[in-house]
Amino acid sequence: MNRTRIFAAATAAVAAFVAGPIAAQQTVGQQARNFRLTDMHGKNVELADYRGKIVVLEWNNPGCPFVQKHYRSGNMQNTQVKAREMGAVWLTINSGAPGKQGNMTGAQAQRFVADQKAKPTDYLLDPKGVVGKAYDAKTTPHLYIIAADGTLVYQGGMDDRPTADPADIDGARNHVIAALRELSAGQPVSVSETRPYGCSVKYAS
Amino acid sequence: MLALFALLPGVARAQIGGSERHIAMRLIAETDRPAPGGDVTIAFAARPQPGWHGYWKNPGDAGVPPRADWTLPDGVSAAPLEYPVPQRLMISGIMNYVYEGPFALLTTLHIPDGLSPGSALPVSVKLDYLVCTHEICVPESATLSTRLTIGDGSVPPGRRARFDRWRRALPRPLGAEATFATDADGLRLSVPFPAEATLAKDAYFFPLTDGVIDYSAPQRLMRKGDRLIIATRAGGAAGELLRGVLKTGAGSGFTLEARAGAVAAISSDEPAGFDWATLFAALGGAVLGGLILNIMPCVFPILSLKALGLARAGESETKARGEALAYAGGVVLTCLALGGLLLGLRAGGLAAGWAFQLQNPQVIAFLLLLVTAIALNLAGLYEFSMPALAGRFASATPGGGKGGAFATGALAAFVATPCTGPFMGAALGAALVLPWYAALAIFAGLGIGLALPFLAIGFVPAIRRRLPRPGAWMETLRHILSVPMFATALALAWILGRLAGADGMALGLGAALFFALGLWWTGWRQRRGKVRAFVPTLMLGMGAVAALFAITRAPATAASGQTRLGAQPFSEARLAALRSDGRPVFAYFTADWCLTCKVNEKAAIETNAVADSFAKNNVAVLVGDWTDGDPELGRFLEAHHRAGVPLYLWYAAGAGEPRVLPQVLTPSLLAALPDSVRAGE
Repeated sequence: MNRTRIFAAATAAVAAFVAGPIAAQQTVGQQARNFRLTDMHGKNVELADYRGKIVVLEWNNPGCPFVQKHYRSGNMQNTQVKAREMGAVWLTINSGAPGKQGNMTGAQAQRFVADQKAKPTDYLLDPKGVVGKAYDAKTTPHLYIIAADGTLVYQGGMDDRPTADPADIDGARNHVIAALRELSAGQPVSVSETRPYGCSVKYAS
Repeated sequence: MLALFALLPGVARAQIGGSERHIAMRLIAETDRPAPGGDVTIAFAARPQPGWHGYWKNPGDAGVPPRADWTLPDGVSAAPLEYPVPQRLMISGIMNYVYEGPFALLTTLHIPDGLSPGSALPVSVKLDYLVCTHEICVPESATLSTRLTIGDGSVPPGRRARFDRWRRALPRPLGAEATFATDADGLRLSVPFPAEATLAKDAYFFPLTDGVIDYSAPQRLMRKGDRLIIATRAGGAAGELLRGVLKTGAGSGFTLEARAGAVAAISSDEPAGFDWATLFAALGGAVLGGLILNIMPCVFPILSLKALGLARAGESETKARGEALAYAGGVVLTCLALGGLLLGLRAGGLAAGWAFQLQNPQVIAFLLLLVTAIALNLAGLYEFSMPALAGRFASATPGGGKGGAFATGALAAFVATPCTGPFMGAALGAALVLPWYAALAIFAGLGIGLALPFLAIGFVPAIRRRLPRPGAWMETLRHILSVPMFATALALAWILGRLAGADGMALGLGAALFFALGLWWTGWRQRRGKVRAFVPTLMLGMGAVAALFAITRAPATAASGQTRLGAQPFSEARLAALRSDGRPVFAYFTADWCLTCKVNEKAAIETNAVADSFAKNNVAVLVGDWTDGDPELGRFLEAHHRAGVPLYLWYAAGAGEPRVLPQVLTPSLLAALPDSVRAGE
């Protein structure tokens, strides 16, 4: 109980941007915007902390059927494991506003990660949607890959089968794995922008 | 896992409510007995629960489109789904293209040849679709089936009516290619769309091509003559082709394709880019135009009497100047007010402009009443109380008749509007595409031009001295000057007749008579020195104005050269009757929003050469108007392998099949049609 309250206070304090005013939408090939958010343990996490590593951002809403497609099938967890094996940092971000679908407290996020056997590096809370809007995150899931030098190298969907049907995962092109493989081979990312698909991010306004 | 989802607000419902669908989906065939080798239209009739919505082909920023997986008998094929014009739904800055009420997706099944009547065709489909509220989304899947039996293809009338209703909701092909350009200012889409075609205030371009347009950005629509310009923010992706649906009204719209090309920037956006030389040229034109207005029949009488009044003997220099300035002020301010009103209407999205106004029969009828009243005043039937009022104001003001002069100036500028119509239309049109301050400068220039002669009289005593001295002859002149005013009224009545037909003209003239009676009664009371002499005019005037609302625009066909061709509305029955009479028939299919159609009609069909040739050869002309997307006509067009208008058909006398004429017509091609038949016989 006490802990929940601390989390509530922590999330309410939230999401301050380290640099400058908010400019929506990030551009592939340019520096990804830095941000600071509170994670599921109440700790502050800054994107710049991971400078020098590849960072994957995953927008999450556990109530969204498209997110469930990838979690219930184990596809998201597998992707997380593979990404981290390749040395990448995986940050799952929840921009659901309080009272809206998928909004979680830190404790709920911890339970979600445990129950789903999810393997992100961390789970970040963005209840005011500040980071979500700065990245122009529109759907859950919506994925971004930031290279070790801080440039954005991929933004878009999980794969090329825009459905909620888990049967479509087999044979789909997993854009995240494909991009990470190309990055570790020192090649440019061949598919750097795709159309994200899923539920809309449940922003406050 | 499920326990966790149950903890989250709103999720549990979505997960457990699988037994009951949020969109009731039904599969309906237009005919259960399709003919072999024919087509049958199949509808997914969808009814979302209140608060839920389904998605369009392009779902927008989020969501997914429906997906159909068919199980069909051998040889039967299904066309892609056709979607009705969607609605916009913005949720927390994320744009969704959706259907919030009942809707129907249509598709066509093609039945192969050679099936014997009575054989069964089981049709089954799995439709996957997403259904959402503002809060949550649920993917649903419906496996639907229907059983068709090979028959004669007849469609039950009830079902035809229902399918026709659904067809009306589909976008129609615009039939003309649009252009788009992307630059630092964003994306501009230029669509050929006739200036006269109606466009709702909430018109919107729904892109089908992903990434070229930022869905959540607002769209600005502007009409520039026969083009519609849509300006919005560009998406990240560049492309050569932009496809989409232009919504023009509630549930109606057009499919269109745009290619990358040049689209002129919208001038109101770029005050920096505008050219001072152009402005000065336009300003000079406006001053000159205003000057010319002084001798227009509706302004001249008012002005000349005022000028003569100013030339009163013994008038002091300062007083003359003061009056001239007051008059000029009245003119310029009224011009600015009218211009500002026009700009305001335009900014509000109305297709306002002088020309547009003068196409409204009610406006014409109102001007008819106004001009008649002025003419009767000049003829001496009654006196204006406005000068009396102004006179009272003037006597209270040191410096004399400035108030009266101001009122006269305002009146002159106001009364000048009917005269400016066709005459100044082009110049005013130019003013409206300039930035607002430049446009207002043009309107002010018009006012200055109009006031110039009076200013000259006020400031140059030499001119004043040369004017004849006022006297009883002025009354006679005033009566004479009522003649051009009556002539103006006559011209307006004629325009009214063109716009609203004989009935409308009679109504307008009746209203004018009624109003005139009121004025006569007023004049009679005035001469007997009664107070509130204007009461009868007010009463009868209101009656006259009320009558104006009964005037409606006559059908467009009556106003144009189509009457010359003796065109009749198209119907297949009428076509069959004419052909069985052995008459050659020219049938054309048009719509108000079809620019190619309008160009062909003006440049080729409604020409004298064609009219003469058709009359000589007793050619019957049939017109199919597809403006509101009549499904009956739509089927006829489809039977001739056209998805939309224009379509031009020539049925030679006694010939079996029509000749499909090219989409671009020339008068010589049309005029030669009857002769080519004779040559062939």
